[in-house]
This record gives sequence, structure tokens and C-alpha cells, in this order.
Amino acid sequence: MSPELEAEIAALLADPPADPPADPPADPLQVIAEGMIVPAAHHHALATLLKAHGYGLYVTVAASHWPQEKASRKEPNPPPERFEVATVLRNPTAPGAPAFWWSVHLAPAEAIDSIVDLFAGADWQEREQWDLVGVVFANHPNLKRLMLPEDWQGHPLRKDYAIDTPHAPWR
Amino acid sequence: MAVTQDDPQTDAVTPDAAPTDAAPTDAEAASFAEAQALASAVLGGVAAPTALDRDSRSYSNPLLDKVISVPGLDVAVATVERLLDWASSNSFFIFPMATSCCGIEFMAAAASRVDLDRMGAIIRPTPRQCDVMVVAGTITVKMAPRVRKLWDQMPEPKWCVAMGSCAISGDFYRDIYSVVPGVDTFIPVDVYVPGCPPNPEELMKGLKRLQVKIGMQRDGTWQRSGMPAEARPETKSLKLGGLLRIGDPDRAAGLSDAQRDASRSLGFDGAEHRGADEDHGNLFDPPESPPASQAAAAELEATHES
Amino acid sequence: MSTDHASTHVVTPWTALTPPPRVDPYVDLSEFEADGDLMVLNLGPQHPSTHGVFRIKLVLDGEVIVKAVGYPGYLHRGVEKLCEKLTFANITPILDKNDYLAPMTSEQCFNMALEKIAGVEVPRRGRWIRTLLAELQRIASHLIAIGTFAMDIGGAIGGGTNLFMWTFRERELILNAFEELTGSRFHYNTSCFGGQRHDLPAGWDLGVIKALDQIERRMVEYADFGTANPIFVNRCRGIGVLGRDLALELGLSGPLGRASGIDHDLRRDAPYHCYDELQINVPVLTAGDCEARYDIRVQEVRESIRLSRQLLAGVPEGPICSEKPNIGPTSVRVKGAPAYVAIEGPRGELGTFLIPTDKGTQPYRMKIRPPSLHAVAVVEHLLPGNNLSDAVAILGSLDPIMGEVDR
Ligand code: SF4
Repeated sequence: MSPELEAEIAALLADPPADPPADPPADPLQVIAEGMIVPAAHHHALATLLKAHGYGLYVTVAASHWPQEKASRKEPNPPPERFEVATVLRNPTAPGAPAFWWSVHLAPAEAIDSIVDLFAGADWQEREQWDLVGVVFANHPNLKRLMLPEDWQGHPLRKDYAIDTPHAPWR
Repeated sequence: MAVTQDDPQTDAVTPDAAPTDAAPTDAEAASFAEAQALASAVLGGVAAPTALDRDSRSYSNPLLDKVISVPGLDVAVATVERLLDWASSNSFFIFPMATSCCGIEFMAAAASRVDLDRMGAIIRPTPRQCDVMVVAGTITVKMAPRVRKLWDQMPEPKWCVAMGSCAISGDFYRDIYSVVPGVDTFIPVDVYVPGCPPNPEELMKGLKRLQVKIGMQRDGTWQRSGMPAEARPETKSLKLGGLLRIGDPDRAAGLSDAQRDASRSLGFDGAEHRGADEDHGNLFDPPESPPASQAAAAELEATHES
Repeated sequence: MSTDHASTHVVTPWTALTPPPRVDPYVDLSEFEADGDLMVLNLGPQHPSTHGVFRIKLVLDGEVIVKAVGYPGYLHRGVEKLCEKLTFANITPILDKNDYLAPMTSEQCFNMALEKIAGVEVPRRGRWIRTLLAELQRIASHLIAIGTFAMDIGGAIGGGTNLFMWTFRERELILNAFEELTGSRFHYNTSCFGGQRHDLPAGWDLGVIKALDQIERRMVEYADFGTANPIFVNRCRGIGVLGRDLALELGLSGPLGRASGIDHDLRRDAPYHCYDELQINVPVLTAGDCEARYDIRVQEVRESIRLSRQLLAGVPEGPICSEKPNIGPTSVRVKGAPAYVAIEGPRGELGTFLIPTDKGTQPYRMKIRPPSLHAVAVVEHLLPGNNLSDAVAILGSLDPIMGEVDR
């Protein structure tokens, strides 16, 4: 990643988001590195910026569910339930074809901006994450279940979903 | 001919409840019940010869039954049937229900090295022309109603081969929310071909077993031989997600109906996987009354005593 | 063995076709469907040309497709959820079943993610064997893609069934080699955390070289089929043109991307395994039609044969698996920050995004980046505007593996 791009990302993240999230991550302005945590309000802008700088190959999005853990002696105040959404983009033309990924932390009812308008390939990947994890992608044109039947209840990749849930009359 | 009937009213029938048109004599029924008891002893109470699923397998045709009740005609019909058996066991029209990895081995079996054509097997992509369905691969809850519908579209007589652990019992996916633990929970399976995946040669061996079975099936030798259903290759330790295979006397009564209705209501979108409109009762817990296997055993005891 | 480390690429001169204008895959046509002006046709999930269980709802105006909606998920086996319940050592055989035409690359990708997080270096011989197996797997996988595509196009009359039989014959040669190495025709479970499980048996390479010779000799016929068979050419040339920009946006990499002019190959651009020691020629075509997608696979097979010969000639000595205290068949412990690792599978960029648990014995969340998912998502953009009969040709040229799409 070139220094100019890093500077631009830093400038973007320095801007206070229009509506600050209730629970901002501890240090949004950490070093520009793989896996950095980006406020949800900046997610779409960051993708736009990266696309303009050659990161044009849509790779993947991976959402994960982090339920609130029980308070322990080590951690008396465990963090509340949250979702993490990691987005990966790749620059296929630069030397070394670098991939870059960042992560957005969401409260349970919070939505993340969809980037389907930038990357058509995000369509099915985001639908899959909604289907399996239950993360809502705002402004997605067709946010329906992808892998499971449309009348399915629940999101199987959440940690509180039992792996052997029955589904009458087939299993 | 007579003993292969299944009763239209119940899933699991005792020999006495066979259709009246072609009712077996008492002696026949007794020997049949013995064979059944032997079978359940051998197979651990899993398979009972007449306990076929309603709508899944039925050779009963009132007209045919009337015709062959004419004295003397049954001999001619039996000869014709034997001819038909010979023909159908040497010219399988296979419908490949190939969903995943086992499907690739199925393709390899059909391709140049192993070449199923050698045994007269032809692969047709439409169920209407086929008499053998080879289920090769994992069946999920989204796919299961389709498989059942395709099975219902195949003309009688028809046979099903479960190829690979996934089709047999769900393999290591069997405990997963979206996987059906074995196709024999909604289709009666004739031959199991174990393996993950089975080699093409193994599939060929399975088809040969099916040929033998077809030859023995229609004249009743198969049922009387004490091996009415091929034993499912599994150990006792498997948990099977609450569903019992077709033919199990303890299978919940409404389950087959629910599966049939769910497969009939397939549309483009929407609630299509649960047989949504009708209430089929409790599908997972065994019935309150003593299971049919116990009833059959008690009856058998009674016959012996008298 | 080439000592020139600078990799080059070849851009074959080829007529650049103008891609058709972008379509809106979400256009609402329900009004016209209800009127009966348009016809709705269901293709799949059980259809021989969908190469698995994939359903497409086609809205037709006469013979022309105006809208296509894809429905995957008929093979959703919950692999990601299953992996969260297993230990790292138990996951490799599960991933074999994901991309069942190229299990080698599936399992390598996962183990590379583990190695990256744990910071474990695989010995050179282990990496070399991985490279070799990946290239052989690419040949086997592309052979099936070529054969099934030809069967979709030609059928019995057009000569496609011939090709199907031939490519399966050739693939068996490679499967034999793999069976000798691992004991299994596919689902090998041969790469593990830190290296490889099975070392090359003595004399194994002679058999492989013989098989490669045979395949190379016969590749001439397959290449001819793509250029000289009039039925094939008429059904493929200029059909289903996918432009470079759309291909990029859709996340297409691998043969599909390279057939549309994306000059990108992870083996050359971001080398892993031993690819930095090899000279790789990456064929790139710009036409983006079905014929280009066929052609690129033929060229890639030839390139892989060449690479495999080089690799076989120079297998280094040494251990095949790294020796760290935390490596054992059941006791893999991997702790660290989440990582994304990608390799060039036969269908494009195959990636694993892995978050290990705090204990380091299981994945907390594992996401597989399936190239086939992006390949089938293309149908919503590519099919509208084409004739119904071309839908089969386009689907066949995409070569998706539904086990990987649905996982
Ligand atoms: S039994 Fe094994 S090879 Fe066959 S479909 Fe299941 S996982 Fe794949």
C-alpha cells in the first residue's frame, strides 16, 4: 500500500462520522494496517477510496458473531454482544497484488452499508452473510436468504444457534 | 405377487391387513410372518418386509389384481413378469441424482474407464424415462423435497441406490441443521453402496446386487428369503436426528404424508419445505401406543400358542 | 530448471469483442409476468448442464432471456459451522469435500492460513511437493471442465461426448498418481499443518511423467476441438461476452478473469509455495466469450504440464513437514490475530479467512472465499440478452462447483 493512499485513509478516518456510533471503538486512528477497525459510518467511504486507488477486485466479506461472555475474574466487564464484519479487497494490477482487509464492529441491531453499488460481486456474498449470520446490510437491493430456504428461522452461524436444529419433516 | 402389497391406510402393516383382493391364505400368512420375525431378528428390528411407505412404493393395481385372479392366468402373468424382470435388470435406465462429490465418481463410472454401458445401463436426465435412481451425494433440506418429487415422478417399478455415506446416513454432516440424515428417511432404498466416495467399481458391484434383487423380488423369493431390505451399513452409535428410515415400524405416522405434501407444494418461492398447510401432528416422537414391532411380536406369539 | 526468477506473461493477440451494455439484475418484471407477456422458465436444480444443483429462474420474452435470478444453496452443508466444532487437525478432510474437483488446493489453502497465523515455515521439500500436487490437480480439474463443457455444447452429435470420455480417461491417469501417493482417488487429506503427510514414493515421478506425456499429446486434439469443430465454434464464439470492468467488480479471478483480460494470477503476482522459483507464463485473453473461456483452460493445462515437468525434475531433499513441538496429528495449536490467506485454485482466488479461538485449538470463525460463488453469480449479469439455448453454453463455460458455492 502506497504512502499516499495511507495518508488519504488516515484523513478519511480522522473526519468525525456524521452520526457517531453509540459505542465507538477504542482507537479508530490506529496505524493503517490489515485488520484495522473502522467505524461503520466510514465503511462505504473507505471502500470507495480503495476502489479509486486500484483495489478493484472484490474478494470477500466475513461476518462473525461475538456474544457477551460471562463476567470472570480476569474480565469483570466483558464487552457487549457484537458483530464483526471483515471486508477484503484486492489490487490485481499493483506489484505483489496486495489484498487489504478491514473490520467493522456492529451492535446487534446496527446495520452496515452495503457496497453492492461499488462492487457487483458483493451482492451474493452479503446476502450469504445476512442469511447465515444475520448482519443487516443497509441499501442492499435484494437482501434475501441465499443458502437456506426462505422460510428458515434463525441464522445458523450465530453462536447461540444449535448445530443440530431439526427441520420438520426432513431432518 | 400377493405378499408384496402394502396397505393404503397405515405405514406399517401386519400381514393380516394385506389387501383383500389378493389376500394370502392363512398358511402363507403364517410363513410370511415367520419370515418377517426372522428378518427383524436378523436386522435388529429395523426392516419389516411389508412395512413400505405409502405412496413411495406400491405395485398394487386393482385391475391387474382382478385379471390375475382368473384361474390359470397367474401362471402366464408370472412368466411375463419373469421376462420383464430379466429385461429390466439388464437394461437399467439410471436417473442420476448426483449432487456432490459422489456425483463425480458416478460420472467417472459412466465415463470411459469403468463404463456402465457394459451392463446395459443408460443414463437419462429425466425421471420419466428411468427406473433406477442413483442418489449420489449429500441431500439437504432444500433439495430433499425435489428429490422426493423426482422420485414420485418415476414410473413403477422403480428402485433406488444410495451411493456414498452422505446418501446413506448423512456422513459427518448428519448432525448439521441443513442436511438430511440419509435418503432412506424419505425414499425406500434398495441397495446401499458405502464409501466416501465409493469407487466406480464399487458402484458397479452395487448395481449387480440390484440385478439379483430384482430377479428375486417380484416372485416373492426376496421377501421369503429373510432379507427383505438390504441392511443399512451403519453402527448403532449413530444419532439420526430423530428421523427413522422408511420401513421402520416406529416411524411417526404422519411423517410420510408431511414429506409428500411438502414435495408436492414446490413453487418458485416461498414456504415450500414444511408441508405448511396441513397439520401432520408430532413427527419426531414415537407414537404413544406400543410400537408396531412389539405388536407384531405379540401377535406372532399368539399364533404360535394357538 | 530455469534460474530466471522474473516471471513474464503472454497476452495472446485476440479480437477484442465489445461487451454488451450492463444489465440491471434487480429489474422488477412481475407486472409483465402476470400479464402473460413474459414467460418464466425454471432451470434446475436438477439439470445436467448446471453441473450440480443450481437453480436459475429465467424470464423469457420469446426466445430471449430478459432476466435471470440464481438460487444456490441446494448443497448447503454448513461446513463453516461444522468447522467451528472441530479441532484444526480434523478440518482438512472436511475441506476436501468443498471443491471436490480440486481437493488438493482446498486443503492447502486452509493449512496455509494456519501456518501464517502461527508463523510456521514449511520446509522446502514440503512446499515443493505442494506446488507439484497443486499443478497436477489443476490439470485434472481443467480436464473435467473442458470435457463437461464440450458435452454441454456438442452432445453426441457435435462430438462433445467424445471429448467428455477422453478427458475422463486422461484424468484417471492423474488420479492414479494421487491414489498411489495418498491411497485415495480424491479426498486426499495429504497436506497438514506444517507440511505434507505423504512423501513421494520411489519411482512415482516416472509414472507421472508418462502420464503427462500422454496428456500433452492428446491436448492437441482438445485444442483443435475448440478451433476446428464448426458446431463448437458457432455455439461459442461471441457468446456470453464478459467485459473486464464487470469481471473485476464481480470478483472474478482465475481462468474466468483471465479470459476477460484481467492480467492477474496469484501464482505469479503474490507467489506462495515454491512459485517464486519458477517461471510462470500466464495466458491472458481479452475476448471474454465462451470460446475464450474454453481456450484459456486448454492453455493453462499446457502451462501446468510444463511446470509439473520442471517441478518433477528438481524435487529437493529434506523433510516434508516442519518439526515444531506444537505439531501432532491431534494437537495443533494456533494462536494469533485473524488472517486472510489466498491461493490460486483452478477456479480462481481461493481464500480462507480464519479467526482462531483464544485457546488456539479450533476456529472461532472460518470463512472460505469460494471462487465458484462469484462465477455463478455472473449469470444474473451475463444471461439477460442471450438466447435460451445459449444459457447452457454460458453456464458450462463458467465451470462452477456447487460444493464450494454452497459449502
Ligand atoms: S459420501 Fe463423501 S464423497 Fe460422497 S458426497 Fe458425501 S462427502 Fe462427498
